[in-house]
Amino acid sequence: MKARILVVDDDEALAEMIGIVLRNDGFEPVFCADGGQALDVFRSSKPDLVLLDLMLPGIDGIEVCRQIRAESDVPIVMLTAKSDTSDVVRGLESGADDYVPKPFKPAELVARVRARLRPGDQKAPETLRIADVTIDVAGHLVSRGTERISLTPLEFDLLVALARKPWQVFTRELLLEQVWGYRHAADTRLVNVHVQRLRSKIERDPEAPEVVLTVRGVGYKAGS
Amino acid sequence: MTRAPDDSAPPPAGSVEPDAVEPDAGEPDAAEPAVGQSVAFRSRIWVRRARIVIVRVSRLVRIGMSRLLPGLRFLVRSVHRKWRRSLQFRTVLTTLMLAISSFAVVGAYLSNQIANNLFQERLVQAESETRYNVKQIQDTFDGAQVTDQSSVITLVYDTLNAVEGRGSVIQRRYVFEAMPEQTKPRNRWVESRASDQLTISVIPPELRKAVQDSGKEQFWASNEFPVGTEDRPGIAVGNKVTFNGTVYELYLIYDLNTAQKTLAEIQNVLLAGGAALVLMIGAVAWYVTRNVVSPVSHAALVSEKLAAGQLQERMVVKGEDEVARLGASFNHMAASLQEQITQLATLSQMQQRFVSDVSHELRTPLTTVRMAAEVLYDARGDFDPINKRSAELLYHQVERFQSLLADLLEISRFDAGVAVLDAEPTDIVQLISHVMEGVGPVAAEYGSKVTLSAPARSIIVEMDDRRIDRILRNLVLNALEHGEGRPVNISVAANDSAVAVAVRDHGIGMNPAETARVFDRFWRADPARARTTGGSGLGLSIAAEDTKLHNGWLQTWGKKGSGSNFRLTLPLRRGGTITKSPLQLEPADVGIPGAGRERTMVLLGPSPAPAPGPDAGNRAADIDHDGGGAAGTPVTGTTATPGTAGAGTKEGS
Repeated sequence: MKARILVVDDDEALAEMIGIVLRNDGFEPVFCADGGQALDVFRSSKPDLVLLDLMLPGIDGIEVCRQIRAESDVPIVMLTAKSDTSDVVRGLESGADDYVPKPFKPAELVARVRARLRPGDQKAPETLRIADVTIDVAGHLVSRGTERISLTPLEFDLLVALARKPWQVFTRELLLEQVWGYRHAADTRLVNVHVQRLRSKIERDPEAPEVVLTVRGVGYKAGS
Repeated sequence: MTRAPDDSAPPPAGSVEPDAVEPDAGEPDAAEPAVGQSVAFRSRIWVRRARIVIVRVSRLVRIGMSRLLPGLRFLVRSVHRKWRRSLQFRTVLTTLMLAISSFAVVGAYLSNQIANNLFQERLVQAESETRYNVKQIQDTFDGAQVTDQSSVITLVYDTLNAVEGRGSVIQRRYVFEAMPEQTKPRNRWVESRASDQLTISVIPPELRKAVQDSGKEQFWASNEFPVGTEDRPGIAVGNKVTFNGTVYELYLIYDLNTAQKTLAEIQNVLLAGGAALVLMIGAVAWYVTRNVVSPVSHAALVSEKLAAGQLQERMVVKGEDEVARLGASFNHMAASLQEQITQLATLSQMQQRFVSDVSHELRTPLTTVRMAAEVLYDARGDFDPINKRSAELLYHQVERFQSLLADLLEISRFDAGVAVLDAEPTDIVQLISHVMEGVGPVAAEYGSKVTLSAPARSIIVEMDDRRIDRILRNLVLNALEHGEGRPVNISVAANDSAVAVAVRDHGIGMNPAETARVFDRFWRADPARARTTGGSGLGLSIAAEDTKLHNGWLQTWGKKGSGSNFRLTLPLRRGGTITKSPLQLEPADVGIPGAGRERTMVLLGPSPAPAPGPDAGNRAADIDHDGGGAAGTPVTGTTATPGTAGAGTKEGS
């Protein structure tokens, strides 16, 4: 089955071009040019991934991202023209999993899309523990005691990556490679923002993390 | 002490016998031999004790000095500092000094005048009294019946004693002495006579001489005369009296003690008044200068705050005087400054926004174009030759356009001052390896070999790796582009404060004019050549800006035909300063003496930053970003060698 991708971009030429590239690579694009309608189109089309421009007429991309994230864990990749720190971080904090700065190459875009759509289904039945959190890898379930914790696929992947090797300290670059699928060094802010978001969901006290620990000057590791 | 030289004359009442006045009981020589021995022993003990005391006292003094001297020095230094730094202190001190010296002068004058007047008054009184008394005595003497010795003596003594005055207070004292060098008549029974404690020796010789030499005139002299246990100032008025054919000198002595006391009191009052006045003047000076200086120091404080960026700071304006005017105009200045700065800040913000907006507006269509170009480029195998070439050109030019846009945006970010340094400790050797890996395909294309010589496996530098990577990539690409296929050497070295990376090519090189302009925006040494290469013309400018952000140096050296050398020096720690670069800007492989006529100087020295002489055929352009400019900047190069011209080095990013 072709993966369906919702492209939310007000620039019709770019949207069309993205559509051509995606179709060329075997995806099924769905388009939406207006931020206000994005959520409706999202609900009706049920895409496997959302490509979201940050600057949109009506409701802006960050708000759209927040709305989609409020009701779905679907991967969201932002298209940003601004590479300013604040915009990127704001986008990531609103729930986006990754971003592609404009101007991008078609191959780059496709690589990002593929990385987010990476089939995680053939996971073997496996149960991991970090601190007092239990992870059912195959069932895509995270729980603390009887309380279920809802994570996006990306956050889940991040947690699993850390949990699988609790003895290892992961540098941000390593996490970028393992979780995001970047082969070259990329923006380490991605890791920082997502670790913060993961902590806000999974930690009892995000200020004093027990599950995802920071190793100063190196990176992160799983709590024991 | 009174002495009666004539033994025949009985001592005056109350006088002390000479023997009693000069006791010789205390003389040690008069002691017996046994006593003498004990005295010698005692004196030895005393000498020893004295020595001990001297040693102790000198030690005390030494310790005291060593304790006191630093304090004293500190005091002197702090006063000196205060003198230099505080206008108020200086003014008050100067005022005090001036007041004290003028009071001293005035006081001295006044007290002198008063003393003079007091003295003159007393003198006039003394003279007239003397005249009267002498006349009385003379009259008494003239009318006396000279019969027998005792009556004569009684007469003379009574007459003289009468001079001292009646009552308990002695008004004047006298010295009565027969004039020397006159034939002694038979019936001269009185030789001399004086009041208590007086002898003729207390009379100044000059006065005596004047009296003796004169006829009937009266003379005076002021001197100190013994009264009780002390000497008191007084006036001696001398005259001659005749008695029974003998001429006597008669000196009447008037005490000036009351006058002296009055004078002392007046002087005390003057001193006290002067001191009080000086203190008051000091206080007034302090108050006045404080009134004048405090607005000034307030202004200084406020302007310092303004300079530190607190633009809303204003002076307090009170009244309409000069200080208030100063405050008002200062505030006016501050207000217009603030306005302009705010305006500039607004402009800068607008500029930033504009750049940001342009970036977005341009990037979206560019993304579309680029994707389309790439789709066409990927499919070019299906096209006919013309379309195929067009697709290729489109693709490459879009790439170039994009890199140009990226560079433009980057440099506009520097201009807007929004570029921030994101420094973290990073291994620069590893970063260089990454850069070398990255430029590998380009190096292969140019046929150049890129080599690295590093003294250590890793050098940790606090830097923004993205920017340093960009600088080094630019330098290496630039070297490859102008290296004419010859090897490009990268060397790295560190000292305790800085790390340096030098990128050396052996290509066409640069002349001095070109090295000076190499960091200029869009500058190309050879326009015809540059058109064929893909550089934006901003790469080295951005490198220079990135270096500046790191507080580092980016310098070039070039020589026609010998290639060029670009040296990047960075402080090891963020915000550190570079004292000298660990690498030499002049490459070691050029500059062998006698290699050419144009080369007259050997530039290999112990210093990593050689100072080429004016005749060296080299040129080193410096971009010195060490802020204060105090640090040792490697010396910029030198004049051109005649006849060298041609293309310089310019990068392609």
